[in-house]
Amino acid sequence: MQPLDPTSLPDNDNIPGNHYAYCVRLTGQLFMQTGRMIAYYPAPNGPGIRFEPLTTASVSGFVAAQFSAPLYARDWVVATGQGHLILGDRGYDINSYDLGDGNLTLRAANLLAYDATLELKQSIVPGFLTLLGTGKFLASSSGPVIFAEPPIRVDPQALVGWADCPSPSHHYDAGWMSGFLGGAMGMMFGVQSGEERQYDFTGAGTVLLQSSEKTLADPHLVQQLEGQVGALDVPGLSHLQSVIAQRLSSQQQH
Amino acid sequence: MPFEQVNGKVVSVPVAPGREVLARRGAMLAYTGQVQFAPVRASAGGMGGMAGRMMAGEQVQMMVAQGQGTVHYGYRGMYLTIIEVGQMGPLTVEADRLVAHDAGLQATLVFLGSQGGIRGAVRGAVSGQGMFTTQLHGYGTAVVLSHGGTIALPVQPGQTTTVDPQAFVAHVGQVNADIALNASWRDAVGRGSGEAIQLKMTGNGTVYVQASEQKI
Amino acid sequence: MIPVMQAFRLSGSRVLEVDLHGDAVRAAHGAMIAYTGDVAFKSAGMGGGDGLRAALKRRATGESVSLMHCSGHGTVYFAKDAMEVLLVELAGDTLKVESEQLLALSDKLSTDVAFAGLRGMSSGQGLFTTTVTGYGTAALLSSGGPPIALGVSPQFPLVVDPDAFIASQGRLNQTFVTDVSWRNLIGESSGEAFSLRFDGHGVVYIQPEER
Repeated sequence: MQPLDPTSLPDNDNIPGNHYAYCVRLTGQLFMQTGRMIAYYPAPNGPGIRFEPLTTASVSGFVAAQFSAPLYARDWVVATGQGHLILGDRGYDINSYDLGDGNLTLRAANLLAYDATLELKQSIVPGFLTLLGTGKFLASSSGPVIFAEPPIRVDPQALVGWADCPSPSHHYDAGWMSGFLGGAMGMMFGVQSGEERQYDFTGAGTVLLQSSEKTLADPHLVQQLEGQVGALDVPGLSHLQSVIAQRLSSQQQH
Repeated sequence: MPFEQVNGKVVSVPVAPGREVLARRGAMLAYTGQVQFAPVRASAGGMGGMAGRMMAGEQVQMMVAQGQGTVHYGYRGMYLTIIEVGQMGPLTVEADRLVAHDAGLQATLVFLGSQGGIRGAVRGAVSGQGMFTTQLHGYGTAVVLSHGGTIALPVQPGQTTTVDPQAFVAHVGQVNADIALNASWRDAVGRGSGEAIQLKMTGNGTVYVQASEQKI
Repeated sequence: MIPVMQAFRLSGSRVLEVDLHGDAVRAAHGAMIAYTGDVAFKSAGMGGGDGLRAALKRRATGESVSLMHCSGHGTVYFAKDAMEVLLVELAGDTLKVESEQLLALSDKLSTDVAFAGLRGMSSGQGLFTTTVTGYGTAALLSSGGPPIALGVSPQFPLVVDPDAFIASQGRLNQTFVTDVSWRNLIGESSGEAFSLRFDGHGVVYIQPEER
């Protein structure tokens, strides 16, 4: 195979023939998730490339305006400098997307990087982030992303995100938790099934799906759920315990 | 062929009255229209008594999709291969690797053991030599899972194709699969047990092998 | 005289096919998924590998990837963990490979194991590099997608995540860089606290997924 180098690498595109690796041409600043970079070429005669955590004072003013997701701050860095960055994410497909004065919510673990022109906020749906404005972002998915339109019901693990349409009927509030504890799995959306509950989308917009995967180890999701446990009474707690035990044993089989 | 390959890891299928689909629980990714999912008892046909009970733990919960709509299936980010059943003969697939099929196909659980019969199966199950497979008869389409995708190797009369059981996904046609021990294998270092126990395929058909020894 | 190269073929991108006509090929343990004809598989232990010294080294280092010797008449299909396969031709030069990313080697190639130094102290992985020399074909593995070949030249030095490194070929100088900046990049994930920097002339192969 013909080796690539800064003269032949794409400026902001997938590596040719490779859905799983993406090359970013860094000219200034880029917000990116940690642990996703596999190699980089610093620009010749350039200042090199630096990676700063978001908590650094030198970027705080700018960062605070663009990044309002404190729970995830530790997962993000700002890359500064000139050169080519090659990104890879756990063998997932990586694609770039353009948001045009839009609003898109996607799974935090799947967002790789985004233009500083976009605003990032934490979504009320646990484990998700919302991007607002106009700009480009990079997201990863298990298999290529499938675009679908509501009305549609989606397995939570298959959901990557959604744009423009209302959040699915599955909110992170007392109502969600009681439905979860009610044990009426799948009954809450009027679907008689043993399948796990789904997210129900209606309205005008786009839903982004991927092929289902093993439960993501999102430590922040665990924290958020843990925070809600304090609101439960004893029957609620012991029911939750048996639901978790069941899930653990089915996960361990695989 | 009602199942459509959306991408390497996702298939979609229309569901209508008389055109129900059976799929492994957890495989449904999304659906449009009015579709209901109900559990069905996995058929244990062909084996009874003790062997049948031992196999209970091996069975995969299947769900029938019925109504009017379209369902997207995928499973843990694994690759999906669509296989036509009936043209060349029945489909035999490693039980864990069947993800969905037309409800019209008849499914039976068959144990591929080193010796035939119930006794052999029981002994085989105890010793770990052998595997549970689902056999699909009739005419229709099935979808199988693999780690990384499958390659299709022809099984031709007069030639034996030997397959690592851990890489075996399915075979279709008039194919006979026998479990054999490779007596020439010594110094089995590490986890390379695939070289010691082998599946010998003879007959006329196709065997699907995955590019990995990982279980599902 | 150019030695005859063994026929290494790819079936799709994850399966290596090798035809044997009474000769042999070495492959990673457990990598055989199917074969036609008559093929025998033996552990490349004492005497089967590259001499006693190399074999002892492998035992002493507890290298997780040991090679097996496949010989006979037929076609053998090799694969490992559904990883993509990369074929690299050697014409008397040297290839340094992350030992666990090696799938198969044609018969005439020689191998040696080198201790890579401080690497892998945090992850316990990647302590060993297999150096391959001679004439033939090496089949390497890439995890998470197709491998990427990156050229290194004096004008373009390259920095690589060690967990994404597969192999390197050429006249390269490899250094470990332990800078604060890289550590910021690792963040909460369990990556290596250092990066690999390559200067000189050559090619580095990387994979999209970190080990």
